[in-house]
Amino acid sequence: MNEHHSIFQKKFEQRRVSRRNLICGVAGSVVGASLLRPRSVFGDGDEDRSETTGCNLANPIPGGVVPFKPFGVPVHHNPLNPVNRLAVAGISDPSQITDFDGFVGLTHIRGGGTGTNTDTGATTPLAFQADMGFGKGNFIGADGRQHEAAFAFV
Amino acid sequence: MYTGPAGSAALLQQIHDYNVHIDSNDVFWMIRVADAAVKVDFDQARTRLRVSNLSVFDDHDIANSVTQGLGLPGDLGFPYPTIAPVAPVRATVSFDVEWSGVVDMAPIHNSTQGFKGSFLSTGATIKWSAEQPGFRFESETPDPSRNLISVLGREQNGVFFAQM
Repeated sequence: MNEHHSIFQKKFEQRRVSRRNLICGVAGSVVGASLLRPRSVFGDGDEDRSETTGCNLANPIPGGVVPFKPFGVPVHHNPLNPVNRLAVAGISDPSQITDFDGFVGLTHIRGGGTGTNTDTGATTPLAFQADMGFGKGNFIGADGRQHEAAFAFV
Repeated sequence: MYTGPAGSAALLQQIHDYNVHIDSNDVFWMIRVADAAVKVDFDQARTRLRVSNLSVFDDHDIANSVTQGLGLPGDLGFPYPTIAPVAPVRATVSFDVEWSGVVDMAPIHNSTQGFKGSFLSTGATIKWSAEQPGFRFESETPDPSRNLISVLGREQNGVFFAQM
């Protein structure tokens, strides 16, 4: 049990390091990136995204949650709890971005819809949960400068 | 997205999980959009978020999303089921989210988390769709009764919390 857990954790830590530090060279370098290229199945697509959105533009809020602890990555997000629907004073910071001054929104919606196999045309009813939102306003970026932008939380 | 009945969200029935991934600076699932994509009228408690054909990842399920494709090992003394590792695939999503109608409101000054502002619990609806190789999804007609909780806020956090 412990060995299995240890191997899992080791793989997990390798992915965390590679994701956080290598894509934009925050703490590393191009050389580091080539040596520690992740085995993560998440790596390549994220690089594409970094190029189109700018590296390290915003900083995350300091808190958040760790889903499926100890296996999940720390998530700088405070999920809404339906118990606060009539007691919004009890929510945690709904923003994902820190050093932020602006408007934020979050949703927690469950519903249904239709999935279609586009190869066969077969359809099936499916359920969904939409935890989505936005941030729009001013923030201090990782470059230390103030920016104004709109973000979708997807 | 889940194979259970509308309104359900059981992990073991999840078959799609669309998101933009945590970015390189650890910001969770946020991506810049055009300014016009977010129209806020906070005084009227109304906001609309509309985005079309946004490139996202389908991580299959939330467990693979937050373990970055490792899934969950199961049977290690933790209260989680076994979730097989799944690699993400590319997809596109379009969505139209509307917040409206005040359910509750409160000012918040939270020095522990370092944020403050005016916050509203509101009604909300969503219409969205997803598309990827071999699969397409279209949500039902927007239904206000599907909202479990939605929030709008005008807030300051971090250095802006400390300044004012």
